[in-house]
This record gives sequence, C-alpha cells and structure tokens, in this order.
Amino acid sequence: MPAPIIRTRGLTKRFGDFTAVDDLSIEVTPGTIFAFLGANGSGKSTTIRMLIGLLKPTAGTVEVDGVDVIARPRRVRDHIGYMGQKVSLYQGLTLRENVEFYAGLYALAGKELEDRWGALRERFALGEAEAEKPEDLPAGIRQRAGLALATLHRPRVLFLDEPTAGVDVRSRGLFWDLIQDEAGAGVTVFVTTHFLEEVEYCDWAAFIDAGRLIANATPEALRQRYSDGYRVDVAVPDAARTAVAATLGPVGETAATPEGFTLRVPALDPPVLAALDRLVATGARLDIRQPAMTDVFRRVLTERAA
Amino acid sequence: MSAPLIRLRRLEKRYGRRRALAGIDLTIDERQIVGVVGPDGAGKTTLLRALAGLLVVDAEEATVLGTDLRGDVTELKAHIGYVPQSFSLHRDLTVDENLRFTARLHRLAEAEFVRRKTELLARTGLAPFADRTAGQLSGGMKQKLAIANALVAAPALLVLDEPTAGVDVVARAEIWTMLVQARTDALVVLSTSYLDEAAACDRLIYLEAGRVRAAGTPAELRAAVSSALYRAWGDDVRAIARAARALPYVQAARATGRFVRVEVHGAPEPARVLRDLEALPGAAVRLVEPLPVDMESTLLALSSP
Repeated sequence: MPAPIIRTRGLTKRFGDFTAVDDLSIEVTPGTIFAFLGANGSGKSTTIRMLIGLLKPTAGTVEVDGVDVIARPRRVRDHIGYMGQKVSLYQGLTLRENVEFYAGLYALAGKELEDRWGALRERFALGEAEAEKPEDLPAGIRQRAGLALATLHRPRVLFLDEPTAGVDVRSRGLFWDLIQDEAGAGVTVFVTTHFLEEVEYCDWAAFIDAGRLIANATPEALRQRYSDGYRVDVAVPDAARTAVAATLGPVGETAATPEGFTLRVPALDPPVLAALDRLVATGARLDIRQPAMTDVFRRVLTERAA
Repeated sequence: MSAPLIRLRRLEKRYGRRRALAGIDLTIDERQIVGVVGPDGAGKTTLLRALAGLLVVDAEEATVLGTDLRGDVTELKAHIGYVPQSFSLHRDLTVDENLRFTARLHRLAEAEFVRRKTELLARTGLAPFADRTAGQLSGGMKQKLAIANALVAAPALLVLDEPTAGVDVVARAEIWTMLVQARTDALVVLSTSYLDEAAACDRLIYLEAGRVRAAGTPAELRAAVSSALYRAWGDDVRAIARAARALPYVQAARATGRFVRVEVHGAPEPARVLRDLEALPGAAVRLVEPLPVDMESTLLALSSP
C-alpha cells in the first residue's frame, strides 16, 4: 500500500462556539477517487478549505503530497488543482483568454502551453467553446472547461467541490468519465457530491455529519455493512431446475419463488459471479438487485441517530 | 367532466430576444406529482414560475386552476403554494412566526391556522423547533419549513423548484413523504435533478430549449427510448469500461462499483452485445446481464442530439 497523498490527523475547526469540523482523521491513497460526503452545512467545504491551505485549522495536522499545509499553505498550491461549486472562470474573457490567464499563473507558455491545452481541448471536447465567454456556455460545458483549467498545470491532487451540481445527467456522465480517466493516469481526486449514485464511481467514501466522520470505507464495504446485501432473483425453466441446483453450489442463502429462487449474498465476489455465470449457461435468467447508495447512506444516518 | 387543473397552449416567455419558453403545450387533469426535468437552461424554473402566476406570459391558452395567466392572477395566487430554489422565508422569525405571518397574508382564521400549523409541524417533525428562528435551522429543516409554509393556506397547486437540492438523504426522504401526502389535496409540480425522485413522479415533463420534448409516466418515457442497458461484472471495472467504450454501438460505459454500466444505442442484437462484452480485449468480464432501462438511461437518451 503506497503512503497516503492526503493525510489529516485530528483536524478541527471552530468558529467561536461552533465546531464546523471535529477531530477529522482521513487518509487518501494516491491515484484514487475519494468521495467526501455530507449534507449542506456538515463541514465539507470547511474541510476542503483547510486541505488546500485557505483556512487555518484550530487543531490537528494536514499533509498533502508531502507538504505540511499548515506550516506552508502557499507551497501546496503547485501540487493541487481546485474547482469549486461556482466554476472560477472569468466572465468577459473568452475561454481561450482564461486559459492564457491561468497558464500565466503557473508560468506555462509557448509550445508547452499549446501542447498541454491542445490535448485537454481535445479530451474535454472544448474546441467549439474556446472562443466563447463562460457566461454564454451551457453549465455542463462550463464545468468541463473548469476541470480542464484546474488540471492545466498537471496537479497531482484534484479537489472538486460539488462539480456536478446543477448539471444535467448527460454532462454528469461525461464529467465522471473524465474524472475516472484522470485517476487512471495517476491523479488523486478528492470530490464532494450530493448525488449518492456517483459514490459508485469512486474508490472510497467518507461521510461526515455535523463535522464528524461517521463512515469511512470503500463503497462496497459500506454496502456490506449498511444493507441487507445483494438479492438475485433467478428464473429457471422447470426442466432445468435440478441441473441448476447442482450448478449453483453453496454460495449464499436461497429461497424458492414461483419462477425459480432468490439468492441472497453479502457481496458479489469472484466465486459468486462464477457460480452465477454457470447458472446463465444452464438457461436461467438473473435479476441482480444491488442495494442503492441512497439507501446505504440513509441507514448510516439513521443508525447514527439511534 | 371538470376543467383541467393546468392547460397551456403555445405558452411563451421572452427575456429580451431570448425565448426561455418557446411554445409549451401541457394539460394536467388531476392531482398528482408532476416532475419537470431536462438539461440546465431548458426553462424549468421559468415554467414553474409561470405556473405559479409570477410571470407575464404570452400564449394561445394559459389557464391554471381555471384562471387565465394572462389576466389578473391576484385571486389565483391565494390558491398556489410556491417554494423557490433559494430559501426565502424570514430568517429572524421563528418557525411558528413564519407560518403565522403567511397565514395572516392569506387571512386564515386563528382556529384554522392553529389546526393547520399543528398538523404541518407534526408531519414535518418541526414541532420541537417551533420557537427556533428559521436562520438557525439545518438545510433540511429549512426546506421542510419552506414547504410547510407553502402548504399552510391549503393550496390547490403546490409548485417547488428543486425542493431537495443540497439536502441530506434522510431529509430528502422526509420531504418526499410530505409531497406524497400533499398530493391528496393538491396538484404538485416540481423540478428535480435526482434520478430516484424523477422515477417516483407520477408524470414527467422533459423540457429542452424551452419546449416539451417528451411527457408521460416514467414507465411511458422508459418504453419510448431506444437505448438498451447492460451490466458487466468483473474485477478491473475501469479497464472493462475503457474497452467497452471502443465498441461501435456503446454510447456510454462507466465503472460503477463492482460492475460497468453499459448504455447501448442503435438496437444491436442482444446476443451480439452479450458476446462482445464477454470477450472484451484486455479486460476479464465475469458476467454480463441485460437490464431494464432505468431513469438514467431514459434521460440520457432523451438528451441525445
């Protein structure tokens, strides 16, 4: 396991009597997508502001890509890209002019800039948007442009604060393809979202409530802990019942149904998938019900309240 | 047969030269939950504001609860509850005072107000917070108060613009329960970006560029799109997604937990899709299953150029 690229220990921020972030300790593995979740006002944005060196914590430590963010808040900025809920493109400037402005901040110029921006423009499908001003672009394209600019200087860590808020389902999908590609290329992505189905696109999920960490695991581990597991409805032709029963093997609990049977398993690990694949080969039809992340997090919150 | 609750023919709303609504045709006959969905900038908020009687509009016909939107809507507004996108109650008044203030605007008798308030506070779980100022409520509670406030005068039409945006998942479920209860006495029209909420509406209106591109029950919209959906299970889901995207008929493929969601366009033979996905180069697929088209695929297909 590589050393974490983001690490906080006991991170705390108080504003007067109000504790916005309370003793938060998290670790993020390099090259992964880390979903940071919680309702409005739960402390997400305050945490991000501390991670990127914009806000000094009341207590605790923060390290991002080897930089002690509290001691050297400016130093971390070359290592990170940030995109907020309101994309920080300058209105009145065209996208291309925005690119040149941001490139100037990172001393990127000449052929190096042309190569880098040319590649991003192609990958993010921004060619037609280049001469437009951000205020004239649809929200989905504006978000993509924001992400392109946040990655212009090849940061090792990307902080994305609700990047898909107010964006339609098609643009949300394209956006996540790009985020997964970035992670595939080794970039670490720290992302917040209110769309819990998007947690499925991430490698890890941390959930905070009233500034405290209440869940911190892979999405699959959370699903196992906070749901009744997978349900597989198997429809079997009458003639094939005996053959199917012999094929399945002892992978989980089964219960007979008029069409065949229902199988319950805590996880769809390789042996279970292999068994299900053998079932399909015998002519059975499967309907796999995976517990929805919305229900998983509803259970996280209600168990905490209880 | 009674008059429809909403009847719009060629409804338009212009802002300068831009047409935010470019000819909306819509008839709603009975109380239900109607979801207005569609891409950003499609005109959802404008349509909701028009239905709430807040805009001057052009139309061949535009009646809401039997009142012409092109005439005097003062009386109509007494029968509409409107919850805008941003919280717009009085932050320095308590929960109780906010509701009382609205009740007075509607000239509700004290006994009727107390009865409605008690019921709404119980239904929303806000009763223990009746004396807290609205500004001190959490995001979810603020939103529940805004809806309770819109319901206090027992409207016949409840219009809500993204009522659950930014609210936690528990409060979101509670708000949905409130809307399902409100449906008994009122037509509920709302916009939402959440797929599970869109799927739970009785009827959906898909807007695009100021026009109704599709309308019907969620099941009708699902049946009308020509996409197909598959799940491919395997160990390295991101590698599977990349390989699947290279297939000519695959519109989208995304690593989603333990499987890859594959959207297919152009109706290739299912047997061919299954075969291709089982044999993706460089990615071990353990199991492929065809799935019924869900709300995500439906909206994705509707938004296709």
